[in-house]
Amino acid sequence: MRAALSLAALLAIASAPAWAAEPAAGQPTPSEELQSDLSTREISIQANFTGIEILIYGSIDFSQTKAPDTGAYDVVIVIRAPSHPIVARRKERVAGIWVNGAGKVYLSVPGFYAALSTRPFRAITSDETLKKLGIGLNNLDLGKVSKDNPDQERFRSAVIRLKEKQNLFQQHDGAVAFIGRSLFRAAVALPVNVPIGRYTADIYLFRDGQVISKNQSTLEVNKAGFERVIYLLAFNHPFIYGLLAVLVAVLAGLAGWFAFRRE
Amino acid sequence: VVRASEFWFLVSDFWFLASPMFQVYLPIAEISVNLVVMLGLGAAVGFLSGMFGVGGGFLLTPFLMFSGIPASIAVATGANQIVATSVSGALAQWRRDNIDFRMGTVLIAGGVVGALIGVFLLKALREAGQAGLIISLTYVALLGIVGALMLAESIRAIRRARAGKPASGRKPGQHNWIHGLPLKLRFPRSRLYISAIPPLVIGWVVGLLTAFLGVGGGFIMVPAMIYLLRMPTNIVIGTSIFQIIFVTAVVTVLHASFTHTLDVVLALILATGGVIGGQFGVRAGQRLRGEQLRALLAMMVFAVAIRLLLDLLLKPSELFSIAPLAAGA
Repeated sequence: MRAALSLAALLAIASAPAWAAEPAAGQPTPSEELQSDLSTREISIQANFTGIEILIYGSIDFSQTKAPDTGAYDVVIVIRAPSHPIVARRKERVAGIWVNGAGKVYLSVPGFYAALSTRPFRAITSDETLKKLGIGLNNLDLGKVSKDNPDQERFRSAVIRLKEKQNLFQQHDGAVAFIGRSLFRAAVALPVNVPIGRYTADIYLFRDGQVISKNQSTLEVNKAGFERVIYLLAFNHPFIYGLLAVLVAVLAGLAGWFAFRRE
Repeated sequence: VVRASEFWFLVSDFWFLASPMFQVYLPIAEISVNLVVMLGLGAAVGFLSGMFGVGGGFLLTPFLMFSGIPASIAVATGANQIVATSVSGALAQWRRDNIDFRMGTVLIAGGVVGALIGVFLLKALREAGQAGLIISLTYVALLGIVGALMLAESIRAIRRARAGKPASGRKPGQHNWIHGLPLKLRFPRSRLYISAIPPLVIGWVVGLLTAFLGVGGGFIMVPAMIYLLRMPTNIVIGTSIFQIIFVTAVVTVLHASFTHTLDVVLALILATGGVIGGQFGVRAGQRLRGEQLRALLAMMVFAVAIRLLLDLLLKPSELFSIAPLAAGA
């Protein structure tokens, strides 16, 4: 259903640039403009949630490409979840046992981050621009680090590696595909462990290494149904949550006793 | 007789159980687990505890840790699961009038104090990122000692049985140093007149262990009640289960309130498996000889301790770990 809808949207956009891209003779050429949207604007995490793929699609109005695949444009998509402070630790051997060493705090690490593009990032624009826009895991700003440490790089790359392993950090150059002259699409898989919150998807249109248009969409990820009730209860009314947990356990025990009692 | 090929047919028939259909998202642990695996784990531990007549928490928490549940969530959730299994057990004991409620109340009083200390200790360790380590170390020490004692005891019992001598019980009417302590209370059901201090201390230690390790603590409390308090053996099990219900309940509420590590969905899955598995365990246990059962349990306890120890001693493939700030391991 969802896939069918987004396909319909794609087709609708695909038919649009036929007139949009060719301005009347004599008028100044309008500059390119990015239009984009997400296949889903709201994701509900319930008991059966096993991850979800979202589609980012859009088109370039007033595309000046004469033929498909001439590669005049590049699209970069950056999706982020809200940032939170995290602590990274490295195990050290103490008296033969592997023990967590002192933690290094990173103050703003996105709960989820994905960078998608038409080509390798560094082929699209300068390192400076990539850094400024936070495109690519190497250019991701993890916030202020708690204290100076000589292993700065090793800790940083460990944080990124661990997040990548959980599929919470992703980068795929080549994941954004152009269809025809102005239409593009990309898919990103949100894993089962995605954090909740308001995600942003920044879509940048590049030509000759410059951002010529950008667009932002948002995506709400929330726990829903039973999961939401439990989560809210556990964090907002923990005492009641604890009492209910005991009550449920007592009832389960009683049920077991009645079911199996031998008279 | 099932041939190997038939066995694999059987296995392949059940492959569907591994499908995403059976994945359950745990709202607090924030991971997805296989419902069938967790039910099976609950049932297996329930089976063992029914067979051996122990609570099984000291096996459940390590098994949860082995299957990827963070240590502190395994502890809090394990405590909640024990509430369910001990309610069934306590009802059966209560109907046989095997509970000394006065002794139980004193044990609970000590247990609640221990639970408070344990929960706050775990909270502090979690924030320092050392909870997993200290929980593992404590388990290694505890399971190592308990396993060794049980093994030695059951080997002695097997030798005695082979030699044809009757098992030696406790000699009644003996007095020990415990009878010199003040604050004496009368416990009519146990036919004891002893100081309240030893049961308070026993309760306190058990409460601490419950909060810290997610165990009921019966494996400590039962021998302590028999050998230190010299309670009649038939009252000991019921009274210990009575204490365990209340202390695990208090620990559940405390962990929910202060460490936010209780996952009620996981606890319910484990309890469901545990209650069912326990029933089959009791029946299986009745067909096996006591000494052999205990030797078997001792070896299992050792195996868990060794696995935990190896995890601490061997160089981990990933040295780094990350955790949200102020939540920890």
